[in-house]
Amino acid sequence: MSIQQAGLSKKTGPMHRAIIGIAAAMLGAYVAQVSVAAAGTGPIVIGITSDASGQYANSGASDRRGMKMAIAEFNAKGGVLGRKIEFIHIDTETTPATGSRVAERLISRDKVSFMIGAVSSGVANAISQVAQKNGVIYLNTNSSSPTESGKNCHRVKFVWDGNGANFAQAAVSNAIDSYGTKWQLVTNDYVWGHNTASATKALVEKAGGKIIGEILVPQGTRDFSSILLKIQQDKPQVVAAAVGGDDQKALRQQVAQLGMGQNPAWINNQQDWPDVYGLPTDNLFGVFGTTWYYKLDLPGVIDFVARYQNMYPDTKMKVPGNVFYNGYMATHSLLSAIEAAGTTNNHAVIKQLEQLKVSAADRMQHHDAFMNPKTHQMQQTVYLATANVGSSDKDDMFKIVSNSAPMKVADAKAEATCNLESFADTPVYEP
Amino acid sequence: MDFLINLTPHLVNGIALGLLFALIALGFMLIVGVMEVINLAHGSLFALGGYFAMMIIGVEPGWFGPLGDWYVGLPAGARYSFALVLGPIAVGLVGMLLELCLRGTYGKDPLFGLLLTFGAAMVIEELIRIGWGSGEQFLQTPPAISGAFIWNGLIWSTYRFFAAGFSVAAIILVWLFLERTPYGAIIKAGAHDSEMVRALGINLSQLRLYVFAFGVALAALAGIIMAPIWGLRPHVGVDAVIPAFLIIVLGGVGSFVGAVIAGVLVGLTVGITGAYASEWSLMSMYLLLIVVITFRARGLFGKKSMLEN
Repeated sequence: MSIQQAGLSKKTGPMHRAIIGIAAAMLGAYVAQVSVAAAGTGPIVIGITSDASGQYANSGASDRRGMKMAIAEFNAKGGVLGRKIEFIHIDTETTPATGSRVAERLISRDKVSFMIGAVSSGVANAISQVAQKNGVIYLNTNSSSPTESGKNCHRVKFVWDGNGANFAQAAVSNAIDSYGTKWQLVTNDYVWGHNTASATKALVEKAGGKIIGEILVPQGTRDFSSILLKIQQDKPQVVAAAVGGDDQKALRQQVAQLGMGQNPAWINNQQDWPDVYGLPTDNLFGVFGTTWYYKLDLPGVIDFVARYQNMYPDTKMKVPGNVFYNGYMATHSLLSAIEAAGTTNNHAVIKQLEQLKVSAADRMQHHDAFMNPKTHQMQQTVYLATANVGSSDKDDMFKIVSNSAPMKVADAKAEATCNLESFADTPVYEP
Repeated sequence: MDFLINLTPHLVNGIALGLLFALIALGFMLIVGVMEVINLAHGSLFALGGYFAMMIIGVEPGWFGPLGDWYVGLPAGARYSFALVLGPIAVGLVGMLLELCLRGTYGKDPLFGLLLTFGAAMVIEELIRIGWGSGEQFLQTPPAISGAFIWNGLIWSTYRFFAAGFSVAAIILVWLFLERTPYGAIIKAGAHDSEMVRALGINLSQLRLYVFAFGVALAALAGIIMAPIWGLRPHVGVDAVIPAFLIIVLGGVGSFVGAVIAGVLVGLTVGITGAYASEWSLMSMYLLLIVVITFRARGLFGKKSMLEN
């Protein structure tokens, strides 16, 4: 008997039939899985793209807690469209290249339904390019470069934080009246810093102020002594700082050591809660922006804080901040939009989100909020705050000094520069 | 003339910064020079020093009975001094554990030691995160060395000058220890010819253990000194290990004087570019390294290699 003949004879034997049987069973299981997925009855899987390492690791953790609380609350009432919500988190490392890689993996390998999460604008931009290519809806929860809803906007991307231009609008004209016209910019040398500084510069000049110089701060700077000496030599009346993450922590500490927090006046574009929580109030100098504070005297806030404390009893951060709030609100709004659309079809959900309107009561802010359909940025209340000096409650660090309605702080440049892809150019994606 | 007047504060600031860099690199240099181990856990141990100090300073009444209550009653300066002594000792003990783990890698490909210390760095960072949380922490300094003073029309940080002065004292003490004591002579001999040291009846394993603990304690000391300037967070060590590595290569691996001079050079470079071309301030130290290594591959004070003959 030849080898070939032996092979042929085996092909018809019991082993061969078993192999064919197993293969058929596997194929059947695969087909069943595909049909279940096509019918959209499996879980909705959210890919969380937040930083767990690098400059924004701490904020990334807070962002994730917000998303997880919204997911848990929806699951507790039966999920969305009768489907359970699951999530996968991969660390984006505060690095744009990693952000792209993570997004590719979440879409192609993990087959996620949606992607949520960002603190760094560079990372958010990288993720959103991959998301747009595949038609996957992506929520930029916490990065605040004006370009995210300006020239880097995308049909699938929705931005939930106030941006540098919004905060500058709220602060600049008041600061010129109160402190003077001679301004110096201290700018983190990356996309958010540059775009925020550019927006601030335009507003200062429009309001009659003068920019006497701009000091660029590379990301990863820990020693600000030479920069602080330079500021003293240049003698500005106001310093507008767009420095974020760990850089900002070091800057704040060194400004406090020198007692330079009052003179010159400091306008810190935005102050993320995870960056300051637990620090002495003298580290919080100048005026800064935020989108939410846990002590706002508004309906729903106390209950929201209690739900946070109930879900995260062991977290060192005893009260939620703006980063958590944005992560929660973004996720909550997405899941509500899926419910309203009655489908996970990306085009239908995008249309729902584009007409999103949330009452002030539901947002726990002072003014109604709405999604700008031209830029996909949430238009919301912007608060200015200072350090709550003398507070006996160590968690009560901010003193809110003003709130501005969304239209008062609107980023006009974003609308002029954002050019959303058409629906025809956005691939259909129905997880 | 105006330029020189404006430049002077930046020169002073650059030298102060450089002394801090030298302090950060000191323990790293000692371990590389004597043990030929690139301790990638240097940064995490640097951070651990800051956290231990924060804990030692922040003891609450009732934690350790009457002794603890007595301690809490001490002035802030005394508690800070305790932290400066006990913090490095505690981290030195952690270093001893790490050295015991490292023993299996001696005599093998240096990659093993590198990987082990890299793994240790990640473990220590994660333990810090579990123990103290991932948020920003604050190391309280005594009032006597806090605040600011005005000199030449500019505001200067008192703490920064204390830190620079402390670095000078630490550098001199370590130098005296290495150059003027029999223990220093044994350590240097161990680095030069370990077989001969062993033949003379000196316990080489014990020597390595103590040297590693000493180097790690210096990393912790630097971490305590830098915490009020850089802040305290679990991954702050990454900010220390990169300049430390760069400084010992720039100064010449194993050279004490080289590390100190390279530290000051890096401080001056970063300080001056920070004032006049701030976007280049971080890059400037790497450019300095490239320039020096291009013309002098063994660093400023490195010993001549046989390959260069």
